[in-house]
Amino acid sequence: MEETQGKGRFLGIKHFYENQYKKLLIIPFGLLLIAIILIGYKFAATGEIINRDISLKGGVTVTVTSQQNVDIANLEKTLSSKFPNNDIGTNSITQFGRQTGFIVEADVGQEQASALIGEIGNALNKKLLPQDYAVEVVGSSLGTSFFKELSIALLIAFVFMALVVFISFRTFIPSIAVILAAFSDMVATLALVNLFDMKISAAGIAAFLMLIGYSVDTDILLSTRVLKRKEETEMERIYGAIKTGLMMSATAIVAAIAALFVTQSEVIRQIMTILLVGLIVDLIYTWIQNVGILRMYLERKARKRNELQS
Amino acid sequence: MNYKVKQIIRNVRVMVFLVLLVLAIVAINPRPWVDGVAIRSITANSAAIESGIQQPSPTISPVNRERILEINNMPIKSVEDYYNFASSLKTNQSLQIKTNKALYRLKVRENIETIELNETEKKEVEEAAIRNETINGTLIQYNETIKKIIDVPKKKEISKGPEDIGIGVFNAPKTNIRKGLDLQGGTRVLLQPETILAPQDLQTLIGNMEERLNVYGLSDLIIRDASDLSGNQYILVEIAGATEEEIRDLLARQGKFEAKIVNKTVFVGGQDIVFVCRSADCAGIDPNYGCSASGNENVCRFRFSISITPESAQRQADITKNLKLTEDGKYLVDPLELYLDDTKVDELNIGAELQGSPVTEIQISGSGSGFSQQEAIYNTLNNMKRLQTVLITGSLPIKLNIVKIDAISPLLGEEFLRNAIIAAALSLAIVSAVIFARYRRFVISIPIVIVSASEIILLLGVAAIIGWNIDLAAVAGIIITVGTGVNHQIVITDETLRGERFAANWKERIKRAFSIIMTSYFTVFVALIPLIFAGAGLLKGFAIITILGASIGVFISRPVFARVIEILLRS
Repeated sequence: MEETQGKGRFLGIKHFYENQYKKLLIIPFGLLLIAIILIGYKFAATGEIINRDISLKGGVTVTVTSQQNVDIANLEKTLSSKFPNNDIGTNSITQFGRQTGFIVEADVGQEQASALIGEIGNALNKKLLPQDYAVEVVGSSLGTSFFKELSIALLIAFVFMALVVFISFRTFIPSIAVILAAFSDMVATLALVNLFDMKISAAGIAAFLMLIGYSVDTDILLSTRVLKRKEETEMERIYGAIKTGLMMSATAIVAAIAALFVTQSEVIRQIMTILLVGLIVDLIYTWIQNVGILRMYLERKARKRNELQS
Repeated sequence: MNYKVKQIIRNVRVMVFLVLLVLAIVAINPRPWVDGVAIRSITANSAAIESGIQQPSPTISPVNRERILEINNMPIKSVEDYYNFASSLKTNQSLQIKTNKALYRLKVRENIETIELNETEKKEVEEAAIRNETINGTLIQYNETIKKIIDVPKKKEISKGPEDIGIGVFNAPKTNIRKGLDLQGGTRVLLQPETILAPQDLQTLIGNMEERLNVYGLSDLIIRDASDLSGNQYILVEIAGATEEEIRDLLARQGKFEAKIVNKTVFVGGQDIVFVCRSADCAGIDPNYGCSASGNENVCRFRFSISITPESAQRQADITKNLKLTEDGKYLVDPLELYLDDTKVDELNIGAELQGSPVTEIQISGSGSGFSQQEAIYNTLNNMKRLQTVLITGSLPIKLNIVKIDAISPLLGEEFLRNAIIAAALSLAIVSAVIFARYRRFVISIPIVIVSASEIILLLGVAAIIGWNIDLAAVAGIIITVGTGVNHQIVITDETLRGERFAANWKERIKRAFSIIMTSYFTVFVALIPLIFAGAGLLKGFAIITILGASIGVFISRPVFARVIEILLRS
C-alpha cells in the first residue's frame, strides 16, 4: 500500500514534469526574480551587492590555531569593546567538527594590526608569538581595487564563456538558454550566500568564476544530448541527460561537502561553500529552466517545419 | 579478464600515459627517508659565509638544496636539533659542519658592540696640509703632515656573547613540489609605488630591494613586479621563513648607500650620484679589454660611467691625494668601499689617475669569469648590473606603500598542509564511493578512481617541473580539477553505455562524449584566463593550476580513460 502510493506520487511528479514544463518555468524565473529583488534591496540599503570581507575592503585578519577551546562569541565581545569604532568578526576553525582554532577579522588600519594581535593574546591570557598565528593585512584602497579587478575578471569570464557556447551550438535560443542558466545560477547563489550573511573574499569571487564552468557543464551535456542526438524520443534523451548530469552534480556536491567537513582553511571553505550552493541551485536551472526552454524551442521548430510541409 | 588487462597494458595510449606518470613521479622526486635540515639562507658577513658555505639560489629545486647532516659529529635531524645546538654555542668554539656536499670548518665569533661613552679622551691624529711658501720669488707647494691632539668620545667594546653563525634552516624538503607561502610559512608583502614607474626604473627598484634584502640575510625570496587589469603597478615580495616584523620597516624604508675611502664618506646614494649610465653606449663589456681566456677560465671586463656632484668629487680628491699607490703604481692602496644599509657589500680599486683630482665623471670597471666565454659574459654583465643597482640605491625617490601583508607561521603552514591533504584524500574517497554506488561495477569505478588519482600526480609533476608554487588556492584548484575530471569520465562512461544500446560504433560513442567534454573544457579555460591578470596576480596560482589540471585531463588522461573503458566494456 505504502509503496504503490509512493510510486504513484513519483509517476505523478514525472507526469507533471513531462507535460507541465511551461508552468514549471515559474520556479526558476520566480527564484531569479526574488534573488534580484533581494540583491537590489541589499544594494539600496548598503550600496553593495555582496558582503565584502577584509580581503576586498581592507583590514586585518588573524588566524590562530589553538588546542584549548575558545569561546569566540565572548572573544568578539571583548575585542569589540577594545576597538569600539571598528567592525570585528570572529569565526571558529573546525576539523571533523572539533574546534582547532579561530579567525578574527577587523576593519582596522595597518598600523593597528599588532595592537589587535596583542588584544587577542590578552583575551586568551597569553602572549601570541609569531609562530602561533597567521596575519593578513590589506590596505583599504587595495581591497577596493581587488574587488573592482575581480568583478571585471568575472564579467570578462562570463562574456568569454558566452562566446564559447555560441560558437559551439551556433543556434541562438539554445545558446541563450545555457548562458541564462549560468547567469541565473550565479545571481541566485549570490542572493543565498548573502542570506547566510557570508562575507565574500577574493577566493569567493574565484569560486563564482568556477561556478560558471560547473554550471555550464551540465547545460552543455543536456543541450548536446537533446539537440545533436537523433536516437530515442526527446523525453528519453532528457532523462538520459538527467541521469548523467545528476551523477556529475552528485560527485561534485559530495566532494565539496567532504572538503568542507575537514578543512581549516578559510580559502577552501569559502570556495567549497559557494560551489556547493551553486551546484544545488544549478539543478533547478538546468533540469527545469534549460529543459523547459529547449522543449519550447523544439516544439516551435517542429511547428514551423509542419507549417512548411503543409 | 586477464586477456583484457594484457590488452590495456599493451595499448599505446596507456603506455604513453604510464611513461608520463613515471616522469611525473621522477619530477616530484619523493624522498620520504631524507633527513637533516636544508639551508635556507646565509647571513652576509657571517662566520658561515666565511667558511665557504654557499648562499642557496632561490631558484634551486627543493630536494637539491644543501642539507646539514652533522655538526661536530652530532647528527642534526630537525630544525629543533639545529636550534638547540645553535643556542649552546660558545665564543671561539670550533665547528665542523657536515653537509651533503662538503665539510666546512668555522669558528664562532664574538658579538661585539661598540658604544660611545659620555666621556671624551685625547687622541693624536695626523692631518695633511698644503703649505705655500715663496722661495726665491717662486711659489712652491708642498705637503706637510701636522700632528694634532683632539678630543674624541671614549668608546667601549662590550661582548654580547657568541655571534650567530648565520645559517637559516628549515626541515629538509621531502619532495620537489614547491610549497606556497601559506603552506610553508613566511611573509608576503605587496607594495605599490606612489607614482607609476617606467619599466626600467621598476626593474632597478626591484633589483635594488633584492640587494638590500640579501644584505639582511634574506635570500630565500621572490621579488617580482605585478600588475592588474586597471594598470596599477605592484611589487610582490615573498620571503619564506621570515616574520612580518622583520620585513615591514625594511621594505618601506629607502635603502642607504654610502661609498667610503678609509672610513670617510665620499658619496651617498641619492644626493651625490647624479647619474649611473646603464645604456649600451657607456655601459657593458669593456671594448678595450673584452674577454680573454686563461687556462680553462674565461674572464671578461665590464665598465660603466657615473657622474657625481662637484662637491663629492672634491671630497674624493681631498681624501685620496695623500694615499699611497700600490707597487705597480696602477691603483691606490685603499679601495673605495661600498656600504648598503651600513653593511659592506663590495669594494672597488681606485685608479691612480684619480688621485687628488676632483673629476665628476668616473669610469667604474670590474670583471666576471666563467668556463665558457658566454658564461663569462653573462656573469660579468650580472656583476655590472648588481653594482649599478647598489650605486642607484637612494637615487630613485620613490615612496613605496605597503598595501598588503600576509604572514604565516611555519607551524601553521604545516598544519594547513596536513589538513589540505586530508581534505583532498577524503574528497577523493567519498567521490569513489559515490561512483561505485552508481555503477556497481568495478570495471568502471576502479579506472575512474585510478585515472583521477594519476591526474593529481601528473599535475603535481608538471608543477614541480615548471617550479610552480602549490599554495592553498592551488589545492582548491586541484580539488576542482579532480571534480571536473570525474565529471568528464562520467560523461564518457554514460555515452559508451548508451552506445551499447544504440548500435553506434565505438568511435562514434567516444566522439560524442568528447564533443561535450571539449565544449565544457573551453568554457572553463576561457573563464579562468582573466583571473591570471586580475588583481596583482594574487589568484594567478589558482587559475594556472586549474587550467593546467583541466588541460592535462582533457588532452592526456581522458583519451586514455576512453580507450580503457572501450577495452573493458567491449565484448
